[in-house]
Amino acid sequence: MTRTSAPGVRVKDLTVVYKTPAGELPALGGVSLSLAPGTITGIVGESGSGKSTLALSLLNAVQPPGRIKEGTVEIDGLGNVVELTGEELRRVRGRQVGYVFQAAQNSLNPLKTVGKQLLDLGRSHDFDDLPALLKDARALLGRMGLDGGRVLDSYQHELSGGMRQRVGIMFALVLNAHLVVLDEPTTALDMITQAAILKIVRDVHHERGLTTLIITHDMGVAAEVTDSLAVMYGGRVVEHGPTTEVLGAPRHPYTKGLIRAIPRLSGDIDEARALPGRPPTLGTIPKQGCVFRERCPLRIAVCDTVDPEPVTRDARTVACHAVGRLATPVVPKEYV
Amino acid sequence: MKTVVRRLSGHLARGLAMIWVVTTLSFVIIRNIPGDPVRGQYEKLIEQGMSPDAAERATAALYGFLPKGSLWSQYVDYLNGLIHGNLGQSLSTPGTGVATIIGSAAKWTILPVLGGTLLSFLLGVTLGVYAAIKRSGKLGDALAISGSLLHGIPQYVIGLLVVAVFSTLWPILPAGGPVDIDFTPGFNGPYIASLIQHATLPVLTYALASYGGWILAMKSSVATVLGDDFIMAAELRGMSRGILFRYIARNAILPLFTILALSLGLLFGGAIFIESIFNYPGLGLLLVNSIGARDYALMGGTFLVLTVAIVVANIAADLLYAVIDPRVRKGAEA
Amino acid sequence: MTVTSPVAPAPISLRRNFWRGVGRVLRRKPSRMVGVAIVVLFVFMGIFGPLLYPNPLPRDDNALYASPSWAHPFGTDFEGTDVLALVVTGTRYVLLAGLATAVITVAVGTLIGLLAGFHRGRWDSVLMRLTDLQLTIPGLPLLLVLSTVWKFTSPIEMGVVLGLLGWGGIARAVRSQSLSLRERGFIEAAKGLGLPTRHIVLRELLPPMAPYIAMNMLIAVTGAIYAQVGLFFLGVLPFDANNWGVMLNLSVFGGGALSSTAALPYLLAPLLAILLLTLGIVLVVDAMDEIFNPRLREE
Repeated sequence: MTRTSAPGVRVKDLTVVYKTPAGELPALGGVSLSLAPGTITGIVGESGSGKSTLALSLLNAVQPPGRIKEGTVEIDGLGNVVELTGEELRRVRGRQVGYVFQAAQNSLNPLKTVGKQLLDLGRSHDFDDLPALLKDARALLGRMGLDGGRVLDSYQHELSGGMRQRVGIMFALVLNAHLVVLDEPTTALDMITQAAILKIVRDVHHERGLTTLIITHDMGVAAEVTDSLAVMYGGRVVEHGPTTEVLGAPRHPYTKGLIRAIPRLSGDIDEARALPGRPPTLGTIPKQGCVFRERCPLRIAVCDTVDPEPVTRDARTVACHAVGRLATPVVPKEYV
Repeated sequence: MKTVVRRLSGHLARGLAMIWVVTTLSFVIIRNIPGDPVRGQYEKLIEQGMSPDAAERATAALYGFLPKGSLWSQYVDYLNGLIHGNLGQSLSTPGTGVATIIGSAAKWTILPVLGGTLLSFLLGVTLGVYAAIKRSGKLGDALAISGSLLHGIPQYVIGLLVVAVFSTLWPILPAGGPVDIDFTPGFNGPYIASLIQHATLPVLTYALASYGGWILAMKSSVATVLGDDFIMAAELRGMSRGILFRYIARNAILPLFTILALSLGLLFGGAIFIESIFNYPGLGLLLVNSIGARDYALMGGTFLVLTVAIVVANIAADLLYAVIDPRVRKGAEA
Repeated sequence: MTVTSPVAPAPISLRRNFWRGVGRVLRRKPSRMVGVAIVVLFVFMGIFGPLLYPNPLPRDDNALYASPSWAHPFGTDFEGTDVLALVVTGTRYVLLAGLATAVITVAVGTLIGLLAGFHRGRWDSVLMRLTDLQLTIPGLPLLLVLSTVWKFTSPIEMGVVLGLLGWGGIARAVRSQSLSLRERGFIEAAKGLGLPTRHIVLRELLPPMAPYIAMNMLIAVTGAIYAQVGLFFLGVLPFDANNWGVMLNLSVFGGGALSSTAALPYLLAPLLAILLLTLGIVLVVDAMDEIFNPRLREE
């Protein structure tokens, strides 16, 4: 019943709204995105762009007061997870889709050892061979440079931040899930630990043949590990394509601005230019028109009234009126 | 383990300090009672024809210190007696040691207090979880309100209302004394049934008096834990409902153990009211009666024992906390 | 003074805003209005109650333990005195002692809490040890023992003793508040400006805590009322004042209200008064909480 090959994921027209005193505000406004089987996809964007909400949607785990209003999330072998509920949904979580939590530093029960929590996980998913599960966990932790036996006997407070993060990754992988979602797996870690963890993620991904989604706001991380990259802004995917192309030849004005804002080690620091203005928050996302127009250097009249449709051209998807104009033949959407 | 020992020794030191303060207070108070009962007793015995020596010894046996010599040496005598477990003799029941009287009264206080606390703890914690999960529902609201109200009402008001309802208006349970005198004490059915019957209302009162506090504390504790990252992480890992519930409950109960200590202390104090209302022969009633009978040695002793009970309850609650929380057990920061 | 200060209008409009806020909070939940009404009623009874009835209260030997009627809504006591009149005239002692307790509790607690929070270090640990001791000492048994040397004839005396036995909670709360204010850096800033300690404590530390202290004071009033009524109920104090606790004592231990229904109204009337006053104070505290915690208001 567990898949042995990497599943593909297709998110279609996903709209997630948050209930606030000012009414229901959209955190995701009709997002479409596909993860090709066996690839590492990255999602980058500023805080509040809807990255984490999108990641949680893959598990149908948007937390109240938020809810998935419309759209589908198709995962090969699981169907549309938006329609799953109760026990069915619970069995998918952890077993079919591994999730590394944004605050993985605090993702452990402080009153139980890691090993006991692992056993809880095994029992929750009806694992009969618990000793084998422990052995797998020790091996995984060992690969990540930890003393597996000791970590399993430890409480959360006895582990450092980097160790907890690795334990979090172990929990996502140990049940052999073939789709793994990592939400900011390296935030709040030092550079060396970060590099080590990214290497592990990449290695395990290739070894086990996973489909991996990494959420990050660090362009460096995205460049280092991902095969394809999606850029989010204001609850929309504004650009998506192979990582090297998106970073090397960005098309959407926001992606361009984002890349221009990165200071480089070699070269003049003044070359890095911050994007003018501020990203929208839940309450300030414009109701109509392009969400990026306030900060856009290419703004034209139509941007004020019409939300640009994502347009796919030679394996790259861009949602921009100004870019779309220059384009030659148009395939309207990523999925048809 | 080392941290537990360190915590324990800290508690013991503080407990001893408190016991010392309390004994000193009793001494000062007994010394300052208008009419000086110690000297009065001594003089009364001499008037009755006792020799000064014998009178002195009799008085010393009664109060644990002699009515003569400097205040300081009297104080040292008194403390010395206490260290050796000598609480003096009771005046109102001549010939009986204070320690004996207190010993036989203690069980009437400790068992109902513990029973009531256990009952209200279990009830309050369970309903508190419910009230936290169904925060927006009507029943959850009602539970929280009942908690606030009961929490705000003093114990004797609850006790009096309980008696008025279950004993006066709708007489289904007895409200006086610990047991019917018709039965022969011992391990026999009717006697035990009568014991339980008589204990029901006092235990109910203890439980009602503390239940409100538990429900409120548990509700806010569960609400805090529900917002913790690790609960969401466990959910995203697909942990089963039962395991998730255990994670929440165990983490939420933890902070309640600090309150348990305070609440036990409060209940031992509250025993004074509840035992007076139900005419229950425990330490609280003993204290009230000893004051009424001007039996100062008994009063000082009872006060001391109540204090010790509170100190012990504090230490026990703290140890319990250490057993449950690995962070304390293994001695990590926070 | 002819100099007009440009700052003057600000406090006035602030105050007006404050009162508008109070009105809004009260109107949002009608129960709070009820709370205010109850508290006002009791204060009125405390001030004018004894003036409404002749002193001593009339007795009626033909109506001992009379049942409730129009003339005696809560019946009469063992001497035929109207129970309602006893409750009303007894309010003054109860409230006065409660008020005295609250003043002492708040004064001592705030002072110790501020000192500990402001000085930290050795001062702090000594004062906190003292506070811990105060908090763990069994207050009620100590009160009983004290009653053998002290007769608490005036409500003020009663209040002083209760206050001295009850300041621990406030001291601890005030200390943690002042520590958290410290963390926000405004004390360091004031020290950096070279302001004297007195100014820092009175002008910088105290004002932000005032609402919190006020709420605690109200809660202290309820605690004090319970304690003193309880003491009189136990009968360890001489009965020379008219007091709810005395009524409870006489009805239970004298009138046998627990074994017969005749004296039940006599028992229930003071209980009802206590419950009502508690309810009123709880509701007012709830309203104050929202007035002084703008965060609660927005939600």
